[in-house]
Amino acid sequence: MKNIILGIATLTTVLTACVNSSSDKKENNIIAEQPSVSTTDTATKMAPAVAEIKGAISIKKILDNYLQIKNAFAKDNSANAAIAANEMVKTFANFNKSALTVEQAKIYADIEDDAKEHAEHIGTNGGNIKHQREHFDMLSKDIYQLVKTFGGEQKLYYDHCPMYNSGKGAYWISETKEIANPYLGKSMPTCGTVKEELK
Amino acid sequence: MSLVKKILCGLLIVFVAIQYIQPVRNKTDKVLPTDIQKIVAVPDNVLAALKNSCYDCHSNNTRYPWYSFIQPGAWLMASHIKKGKADLNFSEFGVYSNRRQQNKLQAIANSIADETMPLRSYTLLHKNAKLSTDDKAVLSDWIKAIKDSI
Repeated sequence: MKNIILGIATLTTVLTACVNSSSDKKENNIIAEQPSVSTTDTATKMAPAVAEIKGAISIKKILDNYLQIKNAFAKDNSANAAIAANEMVKTFANFNKSALTVEQAKIYADIEDDAKEHAEHIGTNGGNIKHQREHFDMLSKDIYQLVKTFGGEQKLYYDHCPMYNSGKGAYWISETKEIANPYLGKSMPTCGTVKEELK
Repeated sequence: MSLVKKILCGLLIVFVAIQYIQPVRNKTDKVLPTDIQKIVAVPDNVLAALKNSCYDCHSNNTRYPWYSFIQPGAWLMASHIKKGKADLNFSEFGVYSNRRQQNKLQAIANSIADETMPLRSYTLLHKNAKLSTDDKAVLSDWIKAIKDSI
């Protein structure tokens, strides 16, 4: 685990060092479909290993896992949420990072380090839905950032429930416009409003 | 020799034998560059509370009580420490990504407020590791103050 994180950190640092010289200082919001040209060129020259740039980066599988977790929670189904979360851990492990630009890789590593832990906790806490939902709250923020950075490839809604966590509120991402609250589940299925339409 | 005596004798031998298998101690003098003190400002009173109530399981430095040398307790303790450090390690806080550091701090604040940490089984044996109301306020104010600086 530590080795993986260290590995990602080292890789990110090395790649950053390579590309900074190209004086390409694009801000965070590089869109997946349009990788910055100079970044790609430099990366290709400097590191043949990442020469195989695959164009669009898809977070669809991660998103699918997330939506499965979300739908399980909306039905108060702790066990199914755990199964989907364990799938998400695998998806993160298999995610092809080689197609990411340096900026994207940085954002991705920051999100993944956090999101993976939340997925692990949801996955290992089947039966303790309260604890699972605490992690789902934080996971939702990570996935939102991921969608904002890489695009969700489908219409999505960023919903907010003001009542969860003793009135502190929480967000989630949904594929349907209808509210199906994953935090309060069957006790209050329609609590919440759409705050933002994504894509 | 009766059967009961034989069994007792056997248990005694096992008990003595396992004393020789001691787990590696969680102890170091080094302050790593990833230590939380190198990442954010940690005032003395905060550090004192963390060391007293959290560091035994959530850092690379455990204060071992005398009975920690007696097996099988030492194994149990080692496994607790391993799990504690996997969830949160103040000595290696800098390894986490920024996003994760912020969430860790929030999770610390939550567990202190919910009183899920320090564990009850731990404070039963370590009476003075229990966080006082003052300690809790100190820690939660500190987290509020630094969380957005990361």
